[in-house]
Amino acid sequence: MKKIEQKTTTSWGREITLTVDENLNKLKGRILAPKKLEEANKHLRKMKSLPK
Amino acid sequence: MKYENYDTVRIADDLSSFDFVSTGKNGDIPKRIIFMPTHLPEVFILAFGSITDNEEVDDYAISDNGDRNKTLATIAVAVDLYTRCYPDRMIYFRGSTKERTRLYRMAVGINLEELCRTFDIYAEVDQHDDFVPFRKNMEINAFLVKRKVQ
Repeated sequence: MKKIEQKTTTSWGREITLTVDENLNKLKGRILAPKKLEEANKHLRKMKSLPK
Repeated sequence: MKYENYDTVRIADDLSSFDFVSTGKNGDIPKRIIFMPTHLPEVFILAFGSITDNEEVDDYAISDNGDRNKTLATIAVAVDLYTRCYPDRMIYFRGSTKERTRLYRMAVGINLEELCRTFDIYAEVDQHDDFVPFRKNMEINAFLVKRKVQ
């Protein structure tokens, strides 16, 4: 049986339990919102520079 | 943050995905927050929405589940955890509609003081080809947030 990787952390003063999900690991590197990415790249290309 | 967040979240081990279940008047609805690289190596986009049959994020879905603030707070948690892990990455996000971008703007505005302790927050606005520092109530097209060096 595979060990479940789980940890509790805090964010903004509140506790949150994070569980690593093997199904989500399998999605790593896949573009899960292609239209959103295309739109963002289009807008970012119009920007002259990024904040330092 | 002024809002409660979902406190049980499933993640990819590189924090590229955060899944949680929106619980409200329309039942339990799986939701996904993702961070994706753009053509700029230092900028990653945040996308959020319902999960489609092919595992993609549908950011046009309207759940009307009565948990808007809790969901927005959960997105803020995801940004906090992600940028703790990758402090050099800037996060770009915009709503799928003008109304949703306005909602994000209001939520950021309400929590601005607290958020600004952790992040530098910039906005993409009309007629500017540079990001400008975000101020409450300004009309914006998108956000760009950068974790402050502590």
